[in-house]
Amino acid sequence: MSPTVSASGLSLRYGATRALDDVSLRLSPGVTGLLGPNGAGKTTLLRVLATAVPADRGAFTVLGHDPGTARGRQEVRRRLGYLPQTPGFHPDFTAFEFVDYVAILKELTDRAARHREVRRVLDEVGLGDVRGKRIRKLSGGMRQRVALAAALAGDPAFLVLDEPTVGLDPEQRMRFRELIATAGEGRTVLLSTHQTEDVAMLCHRVVVLAGGTVRFDGTPAELTARAAGRVWSSEGRDPGALAGWRTGLGTFRNVGDPPPGADLLEPTLEDGYLLTLDGAAAEVTA
Amino acid sequence: MPVTGIRAAGDTPVREARRGALLTLVRPVARTVPWRALVAGGALGLLAAAVPRLSGGEVTPWAGVNALRAAALCCALGAAFLLDDPARQTTAAVPVRRVLRHALRCALVLPPAAAWWTAAVLLVPEEARPPAGDVTVEAATALALALAGAAFAVRRLGADRPGQGVAASLLVTGVLAPLLTPADWALFTVPGDPRWADGHGHWRLLLCAALLAAAVCCTEPARRRTLRTLRSPSRT
Repeated sequence: MSPTVSASGLSLRYGATRALDDVSLRLSPGVTGLLGPNGAGKTTLLRVLATAVPADRGAFTVLGHDPGTARGRQEVRRRLGYLPQTPGFHPDFTAFEFVDYVAILKELTDRAARHREVRRVLDEVGLGDVRGKRIRKLSGGMRQRVALAAALAGDPAFLVLDEPTVGLDPEQRMRFRELIATAGEGRTVLLSTHQTEDVAMLCHRVVVLAGGTVRFDGTPAELTARAAGRVWSSEGRDPGALAGWRTGLGTFRNVGDPPPGADLLEPTLEDGYLLTLDGAAAEVTA
Repeated sequence: MPVTGIRAAGDTPVREARRGALLTLVRPVARTVPWRALVAGGALGLLAAAVPRLSGGEVTPWAGVNALRAAALCCALGAAFLLDDPARQTTAAVPVRRVLRHALRCALVLPPAAAWWTAAVLLVPEEARPPAGDVTVEAATALALALAGAAFAVRRLGADRPGQGVAASLLVTGVLAPLLTPADWALFTVPGDPRWADGHGHWRLLLCAALLAAAVCCTEPARRRTLRTLRSPSRT
C-alpha cells in the first residue's frame, strides 16, 4: 500500500535558524505521534505537510499529489484537515456558523449536505448541544473542539493536529484522546504533542524531532526499548544520571547510564524519549 | 454518511464547485470583514473632506485638494485592516485559494467605498474641487498601497492581523511622502500647476505598481524564497 505522505530531504530556514534540516519520513494510516522539545521544528514540519507553508528544499507527496505545484496543493487541501497550534476564530460566529464557514472553504457547496456534515462533526466532538452558542462564550476546551470539528469537516483522509491537548484539563484531554483515536480509524493522523502519555496511548508510530532533524522513527515500543536497562531506582539522586527525581515512594528514579548493580526499573516511553534527546544533544555538542 | 471534499457537490466539476463555494462564501465573508475599522476610517475621511466647507470663508484649490488627499489617507488607513483575519491559521490549508478570498473581501468593500468617495468629493465646494478623475487616481493609489502592504504582511510574515502595522507605516508614509519625494515627480501639486498632468501620469504608474504588488502578494507561493525577517511559528 502506498503511504499517505512520503517526504524526503525537507528543509526550511527562518533567517539563520534551520527549522527543518533534511527531514524524510513516510506516513501511513493510523495515528503517528510527533515528539520533540520546544523549537524542534514540529510545528514547522506540520505546517509544511499541511501545505500552509512551502519548504525551501526537498520533495514530498500527500495522497499521491505534489503540493509543490498549485494544482497539487489544491488536490491535497481537498482531502486534508488541519488543526493549528493556536487556532483562531471569528468570535461572533456560533460554533455551527464557524464550522459551516470552514466547510464552505473546503468546497462543500451543497447546502443541505454541508449542514448535515457540520452537525455530524459537531456531534462527533461533543458540541452538538452548544452549536448555536457564540464562540466568544465557549471555554478554551470547547473552542479547541470547534477547531477539531472544522478540521474533521469533509471527512479528510489526512489529519494534521498540532498540540491539540495543550491547555486542556485532564478530563478534556481524555475526551480529546477518544476523539483522536476515533479519527485515526481508517485515516492518517499526524499528532504533534509534548505529552508522551498521549503518544503511548494513541499512536502506532512515533517520530522524535530535535534541532529540525528526525532523531527517531519507529514504534512506541521501540522508543521505550531504548531505555531498557537504563532506568534505575536509588535512595538518593544519582549524580551520574541524565535525569533523576524523587517518586511518591520516597526513592529516586534515575535515567541514564546506571552504576553496576543498580536496581533496574521498567522503562517508559518518556524515558526512551529523554535518552533519545540526550543522544541528539550529545551529537550537537560533539 | 460523511461527505468528502469536492464530492459533496455530487458530480459537479471542480470549476463549478469552486464558483459555488465563492457564491456561498459571500455572506460569511461579509461577516468577517472588519467593518468597524473601515467605518472609522471612512468617518474620519468625510470629516477631513468637510473641513474646507466647515471652516467658512473662501476655499482655495490647495485646501480642496489637500482635504481630499487627507480623506483618501484616512480611507486607506481603514483599508489597511481589510485583510485582518483572526481565523487565518485555522483556515490556512483550505482549497479555496487565498487570492479569491482576498478578492472577495475587496469586492464586498468596493461599492460602499466608491459611494463614500463620491460623497467626499462632493463635500468639497465646487470652486475648490480638483479634477475628480485625477484625484480619484490618487485615492485609489493610497487604497492599493494599503492592500498591497496588508497582503505582503500576510504572505511573507503569516500575520493574522496586519492592519495595525500597515496602517502605522502608511500614516508615516503619507506624512513624509510630500516632504521626501523628488520635486520633479510632481506628486503633490495643486490644480492649475503646469506639472499637474505630469504628476498624475506618475500617480497612474504608482497605482499600476501598487495593484500589481497587491495581486502578487495575494497569491500563495508554491515554493518559498527565504527572507531574513520571516519568523518561526513557535517564535523561537
